[in-house]
Amino acid sequence: MVQRLDPGAAASVCAALPFEQQQVLFRTLPNHFAAALISHFPYYHTYVLLHSRPLAEMRAIVDRLDPTERMRFFDELPEEAWQRLMDELAAAPAEAPLRAVAAPVAPTPAVEKIIEARQVEKTFQQPDGHEIQVIAPLDLSIESGAIIALLGASGCGKSTLLRILSGLTKPSSGTVLWHGNPLAACGPNVAIVFQSFALFPWLTVLENVEAPLLARGMPHFQRHRRALAALNSVGLKGFDNAFPKELSGGMKQRVGFARALAVEPEVLFMDEPFSALDVLTAESLRGELMELWLKKQIPTRSIFLVTHNIEEAVLLADRVIVLGRNPAHIRADFRIPITQPRDRKSAEFLVYVDYIYKVMTQPELELAPPARREPLARAHFQRLPHAKPGGMAGLLEFLNDRGGQEDLYHLADELLMEVDDLFPIVEEAVLLGFAQSREGDVEITPAGKAFAEADIASRKRLFREAALAHVALVQQIRCALEKKSDGTMPLEFFKDILDEHLPAEEVQRQIETILDWGRYAEIFTYDSETDRLLLHQPASAANSDTAPLH
Amino acid sequence: MTGTAQPSPEMSGWGTVPAGGRSLFRDLPIILAGLALFYGLLSFGRYSVGPASTQAEIELHPAALPRYALYSVLRIAIAYGFSLVFTLIYGYIAAYNRKAERFMIPLLDTLQSIPVLSFLPGVMISMVALFPTRQLGVELGSILLIFTGQVWNMTFSFYSSLKNIPREMYEAAQVYQLSWWQRFRQLQLPYAAIGLIWNSMMSVAGGWFFLMACEMFVLGNRDLRLPGLGSYLQTAANAGNTRAILAGLAVMIGIIVLLDRLVWRPVIAWSEKFKFEQVEAAEAARSRILDMLRRSRLLALVGQRSMMPVREALDLHFARAHAALPAPAKSRTSAWVMRIIGFLALAGLAYAIVRMLTLAASVSWPDLRAILLGAGATFLRVEFVLLLAALWTIPLGTVIGLHPTRSAVAQPLAQIAASVPATALFPIILLVLIRLGGGLGIGSIVLLLLGTQWYILFNVIAGASAIPTDLKEVCDIYQFTRWERWRRLFLPGIFPYLVTGFVTASGGAWNASIVAEYFHFRGQTLSTVGLGAVISRATDGGNFRMLMAATLVMAMIVVTINRVLWRRLYALAATRFKLEA
Repeated sequence: MVQRLDPGAAASVCAALPFEQQQVLFRTLPNHFAAALISHFPYYHTYVLLHSRPLAEMRAIVDRLDPTERMRFFDELPEEAWQRLMDELAAAPAEAPLRAVAAPVAPTPAVEKIIEARQVEKTFQQPDGHEIQVIAPLDLSIESGAIIALLGASGCGKSTLLRILSGLTKPSSGTVLWHGNPLAACGPNVAIVFQSFALFPWLTVLENVEAPLLARGMPHFQRHRRALAALNSVGLKGFDNAFPKELSGGMKQRVGFARALAVEPEVLFMDEPFSALDVLTAESLRGELMELWLKKQIPTRSIFLVTHNIEEAVLLADRVIVLGRNPAHIRADFRIPITQPRDRKSAEFLVYVDYIYKVMTQPELELAPPARREPLARAHFQRLPHAKPGGMAGLLEFLNDRGGQEDLYHLADELLMEVDDLFPIVEEAVLLGFAQSREGDVEITPAGKAFAEADIASRKRLFREAALAHVALVQQIRCALEKKSDGTMPLEFFKDILDEHLPAEEVQRQIETILDWGRYAEIFTYDSETDRLLLHQPASAANSDTAPLH
Repeated sequence: MTGTAQPSPEMSGWGTVPAGGRSLFRDLPIILAGLALFYGLLSFGRYSVGPASTQAEIELHPAALPRYALYSVLRIAIAYGFSLVFTLIYGYIAAYNRKAERFMIPLLDTLQSIPVLSFLPGVMISMVALFPTRQLGVELGSILLIFTGQVWNMTFSFYSSLKNIPREMYEAAQVYQLSWWQRFRQLQLPYAAIGLIWNSMMSVAGGWFFLMACEMFVLGNRDLRLPGLGSYLQTAANAGNTRAILAGLAVMIGIIVLLDRLVWRPVIAWSEKFKFEQVEAAEAARSRILDMLRRSRLLALVGQRSMMPVREALDLHFARAHAALPAPAKSRTSAWVMRIIGFLALAGLAYAIVRMLTLAASVSWPDLRAILLGAGATFLRVEFVLLLAALWTIPLGTVIGLHPTRSAVAQPLAQIAASVPATALFPIILLVLIRLGGGLGIGSIVLLLLGTQWYILFNVIAGASAIPTDLKEVCDIYQFTRWERWRRLFLPGIFPYLVTGFVTASGGAWNASIVAEYFHFRGQTLSTVGLGAVISRATDGGNFRMLMAATLVMAMIVVTINRVLWRRLYALAATRFKLEA
């Protein structure tokens, strides 16, 4: 009964119950509804409710969360909880694994490489003499002019990799080059911003910023001026004589930034620089950093950011490297071509967030990064299942007979069909809102029940209403036809729209399907002689009045 | 980057000089103190290079006291200076050289367990041999003896601080290429400062405790005594001169209180800035003296004109030297030199061990029996003392620590009581005991108790005051009985602190047994059965064989107890009974 409500209303109903009952109720909800419901709760509530479901279902629900909501949820989770959830998700099988396989996109080769790691590898000796490998041999380079984000779950070796690239730690084997020469011999001009700030509490803010300059043998007067300027640039003017413990976390990290910027590093390394800060402070600090970077107010040529925060990576980075675990290896390496400043609500942004989420939670899969143009298409384009309305009507009747719910495989057996053939029909019913699919079960909805019990004319009307409500392409076509005075359009026009998103043979199949649906719903027809679509001319006025206007 | 800094002296960060006014008046105490220090050093120097007079007569006239007190203070100060230098070098190497660490730390552990007097013959003979005609030889020997009583815990503290420097701070120093000097000055020394200061206080207190033993001793047929407060007290005790004992005691307590006010408190208040904390503490230690020094225009000027340029020059020198050789690859020759030095050290060590064992093996059976019997007696005595101390300090310390107001009153009192070296009180205690018909059997227990109970008391107070208020409130709300409170909260809460207190007290008691079980008093020698008495008698009689064997036994006992008992309790305290915020 709860499911008939709007998810927001359902959430408030649910929240009013004692928590035990909330969990009981939540366990009975179908995945998609559960996903819609829990995004209305605060993150901790969501987290606990999610864990009342079995692992596979939990994964299915998280997968179904609206990407924006999922991003918000992940962003708010404390790091440990985030870590645990990611582990669990990665362990659970994906409900519908992505099938696309492609080689990772290599960074643009023309750009100069500042740091280049070749086949670096790291092993640690355990007390009992066993060697454990934390980083598998990998190649990685930091090119100039880019912000590179290294993403991975905590403890996957990304901090170790940062320490190898910055020369703090030596790799167990392999070489790291700094402008083509061995890093160890160069004394590279790098800086690190640490998660824990790593300021010296007994030195004033100014002395902290001066320390690296002093190490470079800079005389007192110069280093004083340089440190003040660096403090100025991060908005800490006037705090030079304060001690770090007198400052808030965000201000401490500003000192960390000032100290790093004062040495004017060629590569600025950042090790989870925002994760010790609260959400708002982190956000404003990110913004200021980006401003310095984008306006070229700092001589830094490249920024290498280690983070576990997907959104942060997509927000800041030009290139994202996703690290897998046990031992660390590169799972994906791709560019994010969205122009700065980035809007985290934009469809393109969400596509990247969603893509990284999938890479991180499906360790067994190789995924192609979203192409430059595709994101828009995915966000707006809906692929129709290749099924005819008649088949769907049969399915709904059968389901209605069987009490409204049936296991998909069982159903296929009963109907003597292959599951693969039954699937598009079920998808069609689900798309039009006539059925719901949950964990291998198909369940008829009230609208579906009405459809199954209706006569042929009413079925056509119900189908038309549903198609106009749920299928974007149907809306698009009708809209276009209605705007023409003669009510016709060449089919080629719609084919072209589909061509942008789909391979040729798929376009053909989509066209066939949409023509089927349009004819059945009596929205439009196809004239094969002229190769044009025509708006359906109602046989009677009464019929046209019932057509809902959207 | 919009730097607005202009070249002006105020902007130079040298530390601004406090504004003038009645600056001469304000600086007067500092000037006078400086002059007094200079005079003291001069007279001590003149005396030191003078001809040897090891049989110096100790005058019991109170007028001689200031001079004696000055000599003793200087001795302790110089010994402390040596300790500090040793600590910094030894701790640094042990912390950063993994190969050296493997034997340096167990060695330190062992040296710590050897009582001061066992070092006496070796130290004295070598020093007197170095400067046979000058007072300097005996004087250096005495200073080195005090040094052996002070140095070990400081070294341990420095070493463990260095080991605990947070990784990211160290990495920051590394990635910003700080020279070793800058790392030392800006990271390692400040990080270790607080532990080092508290241990310095303990060490100097230990110096006072063993002062009598270190300034006046018999070495074979030679009776060595040095002018100083310790030998004054000892001589007064020998002579049974109660008035002189009391006068000496009063001067000693006065000096200790004065040192506390003039040195330790300002230093502790100053060290507040080295506290490794993320947020500022509500109440910080304060010191008027420190405030006065900070306001002093003279000191600020001196600092600005002399210290700062020197520091700057040093910093830049090491930074440039560091930058000149960016690759930390060790040259092959230095590796070889290290190897040779290590080999020589090992060879020397092996030789010393062989000699020591042959010497110890030649101990006759009756002697060995006396040593083992003494060891048993001292063991029982030490454990009994610890039990006694625990019985009164745990309840009292907890009650004090639980209430901030109470501890604000009680803590300074206890600190003064603790700072009086028990050995100085010993003659008076013995007088009372003898009058009551007791002897050194009880006297030694009293002395050990006086020397060690404070470690337990202070730790219990610290532990009890660290128990979170909300846990106490839980006990109130659920109406725990008194017994339940102790069992469920107080005892587990203070447990880690209690272990620390016991470790220090136990080690201290074993060491103190050498002065507690054997005492020269009114022209005669009082002694009781115990390992400390065996060691003291062997030192007095110049019986090296016996001294060596007894020392070995004591070191073995102390190290074994540490390893078997205290270390496990430490581990338990660190895991199960840790109160985390």
